[in-house]
Amino acid sequence: MGETQIYLLAWIVFFPLAGAGVTYLAGRTDKRFRDYMACAVAVIEFLMTMIILITMKDQTAGVELPGICQMGLKFETDGFRAVYGTVAAFMWMMTTLFSTEYFRHYRNRNRYYLFMIMTLGATEGVLFSADLYTTFIFFEMMSFTSYVWVAQDERKESLRAAETYLAIAVIGGLVILMGLFLLYHQTGTLMIDDLYQACQGKNVLAACVCMFVGFGAKAGAFPLHIWLPKAHPVAPAPASALLSGILTKTGIFGILVISCKILFHDARWGTFVLLVGVLTMVAGAVLAVFSIDIKRTLACSSVSQIGFILVGIGMQGLLGEENILAVRGTMLHMVNHSLFKLTLFMAAGVIYMNLHKLELNEIRGFGRNKPLLKLAFLSGALGIGGVPLFSGYISKTLLHESIVEYAGIAGKSDQILGVPDIRLVEWLFLISGGLTVAYMLKLFMAVFVEKNKDRQRQKAYDDLKGSYMNTMSKIVLGICAVLFPLMGILPDRFMNWMADLGQTFMGAEEAAEQISWFGMTNLSGSLISVLLGAAVYLLVIRGWMMKKQADGSKEYVNCWPAVLDLEDYLYRPVLLQVLPAVAGGVCKVLDKLVDVFAKIQPLAAYVEASFFNTIQDPVIVEMKKDIYHGSEEPDDPEEGNPVTHVLGRCCNAVKHLLNATIWKKHPCKTDFKHKFALRYEQFRENMMLIGRSMSYGLLLFSLGLCITLIYLLIAAVRMA
Amino acid sequence: MSQYWMLIAILLPIVGGILVKVIPFSDRRIMKIYLECIMIVTSVIVFLLAGMRPQGKLEVVHFMQDLSISFRIDGMSMVFSVLVAALWPLAMLYSFEYMEHEKHQRVFFMFYSITYGVTLGISYASDMLSMYFFYELLTLVTVPLILHSLSRQAIHATRKYLYYSLGGAAFALIGIVFLMVYGNQLDFVMGGVLNLEKIGDKKQVLLVVYLIACMGFGVKAAMWPMGSWLPDAGVAPTPVTALLHAVAVVKAGVFAIIRLTYYSFGTEFLRGTWVQAVVMAFAMFSIVYGCTRAVMERHIKRRLAYSTISNLSYIIFSAAIMTPLGLVGALTHMICHACMKICSFLCAGAVMHQTEKMYIDDLNGYGRKMPVVFGCFTVSALGLMGVPGLAGFISKWNIAKAAVASERLQAYLGVGCLLISAFLTSIYMMSIVFRAYFPGRNFRYEDIEEVKDPSWRMCLPLMLFALAVICLGLFSGPLVRFFTDVASGMY
Repeated sequence: MGETQIYLLAWIVFFPLAGAGVTYLAGRTDKRFRDYMACAVAVIEFLMTMIILITMKDQTAGVELPGICQMGLKFETDGFRAVYGTVAAFMWMMTTLFSTEYFRHYRNRNRYYLFMIMTLGATEGVLFSADLYTTFIFFEMMSFTSYVWVAQDERKESLRAAETYLAIAVIGGLVILMGLFLLYHQTGTLMIDDLYQACQGKNVLAACVCMFVGFGAKAGAFPLHIWLPKAHPVAPAPASALLSGILTKTGIFGILVISCKILFHDARWGTFVLLVGVLTMVAGAVLAVFSIDIKRTLACSSVSQIGFILVGIGMQGLLGEENILAVRGTMLHMVNHSLFKLTLFMAAGVIYMNLHKLELNEIRGFGRNKPLLKLAFLSGALGIGGVPLFSGYISKTLLHESIVEYAGIAGKSDQILGVPDIRLVEWLFLISGGLTVAYMLKLFMAVFVEKNKDRQRQKAYDDLKGSYMNTMSKIVLGICAVLFPLMGILPDRFMNWMADLGQTFMGAEEAAEQISWFGMTNLSGSLISVLLGAAVYLLVIRGWMMKKQADGSKEYVNCWPAVLDLEDYLYRPVLLQVLPAVAGGVCKVLDKLVDVFAKIQPLAAYVEASFFNTIQDPVIVEMKKDIYHGSEEPDDPEEGNPVTHVLGRCCNAVKHLLNATIWKKHPCKTDFKHKFALRYEQFRENMMLIGRSMSYGLLLFSLGLCITLIYLLIAAVRMA
Repeated sequence: MSQYWMLIAILLPIVGGILVKVIPFSDRRIMKIYLECIMIVTSVIVFLLAGMRPQGKLEVVHFMQDLSISFRIDGMSMVFSVLVAALWPLAMLYSFEYMEHEKHQRVFFMFYSITYGVTLGISYASDMLSMYFFYELLTLVTVPLILHSLSRQAIHATRKYLYYSLGGAAFALIGIVFLMVYGNQLDFVMGGVLNLEKIGDKKQVLLVVYLIACMGFGVKAAMWPMGSWLPDAGVAPTPVTALLHAVAVVKAGVFAIIRLTYYSFGTEFLRGTWVQAVVMAFAMFSIVYGCTRAVMERHIKRRLAYSTISNLSYIIFSAAIMTPLGLVGALTHMICHACMKICSFLCAGAVMHQTEKMYIDDLNGYGRKMPVVFGCFTVSALGLMGVPGLAGFISKWNIAKAAVASERLQAYLGVGCLLISAFLTSIYMMSIVFRAYFPGRNFRYEDIEEVKDPSWRMCLPLMLFALAVICLGLFSGPLVRFFTDVASGMY
């Protein structure tokens, strides 16, 4: 590995960060130039990662930038990082090329490009990081820069979704940070490669759970998956593709570090991850079936696929030494899912670009006579559905095989899961696979096969035939779509190569045994899923989720279970209402206490006044009833305080008496009530002045001195 | 350098400030140039003093026995004086434009300049008594600055400030008296000056006294029960709020607490006692308290003031860990927070100066109209949140590292408080930023046509501070190493 290539590694991270700035500046003068610039940055980045991938093989090499951000930034490459870095750069290249057309009519494009390319740098930083400190730095950076993608439209929903996204990111980041503190304190190192050694015999479980929560939130694991279904529909399509294809994978990268570097081959940890994975997988798939918004369906599908990957990671831990199948399955499913979502979201983007709608009933029939779009979408759908001859089949088969493999050893004394448990997991795996087929079928049928029930609209859609996307977008979409059958038909050539490169990172050294990909045992799993999917589609979706309209046509009904929305019914109320109300209330009460304490003199007056108030109020009420019956209200009570009122009134009564008797000739006209009130106000003002004046401070000062003196006296006396 | 340069550094801004009132300047411009020159010269002297440290102490006034006003430069002095010296000329530059339309400019600049000298006095003071002298002086010379507008609110805030501060100082004095009695000397020595033989079985009494003194200094550091003067004092002109109520005055309080803890009572004596737990608990509560109140506040300067309360308590919390690492964390946050908070305050001030808007609800869409101001504000906001790569992250990392390393349960909880506070910070800072940059789809930019960035005199300090936030975040290595040396008593 030459010097230059090592520095290439740092370039991969910092080149986009610099390129983003240049692109932004270019955009201020010329928009076309800016677009070319952005594409150029993405393409160059892809080429650089390709160089790394091709020259590296599976050697490792690292570069360190000491002193930056105190602990220094450390980058490293090995097979896994090189593959994934390349996948990331590939996705950025494709989406950037696609963006040119997609964003034609958008406002604030400069801002979008700036943050999009910056995020590329940050993501590469996460993937190539050699220590968790570097990971964390770029992870946070990525979270913040990608916020802008979600908020790009500045619609109300976008801003709200962006808020959710950021909240999850910030909380997740902080929890990771807490985990890092704990880990660093225990092990003294954050270097990913040294962690396994350093963690031997230490209790790092708390740290690992913290980090898992944080990375899991980014990956979209249940129950922190809430940001995905919110953010994807409102983000621009290229951004959705990246969010779901690659940003979630950085979370998975973090989880892999925990599972393969810290708690390596730990069966209990594996069980935990498996559990989360199964929940995520099923929940995502079910939600996806319910949704009738194309991008939301795809987002839920992402959640579900992340669940598949987590299941793979869980199986790695459970299988221990014999986890080669799980390792390769995880690796390949990660790559596959990234590419699937790239294609599918871009296809959805083409639809949105033309119609500015996402709801299935509205976009129904759009793709009927657009063969390229149809084939691209179909390719992605078949891939993600795990249909043989497409790449998804390979990775899902590997994952399935690993579960079957564990079923063989389950039930032995030293295994955590019993045979029934693992059978359940297997069936949930197959069912989720079936649901995947079902919801992809739903989307495909709705957009590309069925006709829109509005004839005119259907005609308008048909007329778009030649002009619905430009050549560049066609090429991009075409390239993506070709990948899946290519990789699926020649698994040994492409998939094995990637798996070989990736497996070292996950701790598997041995070479993989030859698998007969299209043998009957392997095909049967896929077959079960596809049949299940078809059944679900026919029975549930066509039967239950489509209602007949008056004119006989069928329409998709929104069955989205809003009641189950964790965000609206749990997270937001707790975080935004309950907690601030409680905390704010406590703070306010304490503040009041302090204020009262600081104003002891006014307090005395206050106590006195309120005392008189309490005893006087009933008296006044009584008097009103009996004596002043029918007379006017007493003077406005704002002036003075109860004492002055009572006193003044007494004096006034005496005055009246005297005026009537002794001072008949020179009656006294003073209103004593008013006079006393004025006096009181003066008095109060004075008290306040004293209370807040320097002399009061000096008083306290001398009080302090007095206490000291008294203490010294006592001390002297005791000494003597 | 000769020791007398210390005296010159302290006296130059004081005398120069008084002369502002005496010299009949024919033109405002000349006065401003004159003032800026004094600031820069003083700062240069301070930098030189830090670079070429005079050994030994300079006794200015001798009272009796070992009571005197004297100066000496040690590690802490270097940190605080250089911080202050770096900020003051820039803040002065900013205030020239900010104060353009205000009345009583001369009085304002006079006291603004004097405060610089007094703050340097605090940092150079070599013993408790000298520090106390300048500490009280600081209270008095900053009064006219808060009082500046002479409005009802200002008068109210000033009174509150005065009686909180003086009252607090009175408590602090108790501590000094006890140090005189039970210590070997009043001079600051790393590790403390208490004479354990004299103390004998009176350890508990001394602990109580430490607590009283600590709380006394805690008034200026705006710890929770005593901090309510700080948001009220926000009625002062922004240069005052930014420099004094985010850096000089409040950091003087923190500085005094560090002096008291590390250089007078000594951490050996205090570590592991109930007093440490109490001080830490107060600091932890203040951290969360400040953030919570900041989230609830709509007035931008008051929001930032509450944020200051929270951040100052970070420093106190870190100092209360009472290990060298804790001191490193405290010093790092002292520097980093100073840069971030002065930057965000000055941005808020720039907005107020340009548009007279002071509630965050009015800031929609300003990001595009005031790119420099909001660019800097965003940097400082992200920094305050502790986003990696910026100053705030480094200091929080150090604080949390120290807390975890101390292996006290309470310190772990403290880290939890830091994280909660970071989350709340993201709410109260980012809500401003997002408003400014994402006003919503239907926002009409024509409505705020007249809003624009201020002139270079306001923008330059902002940009420099924002740059400092980034640089501190990226290249903090030498600084932290220097703090480690300070904390180990090398200087």
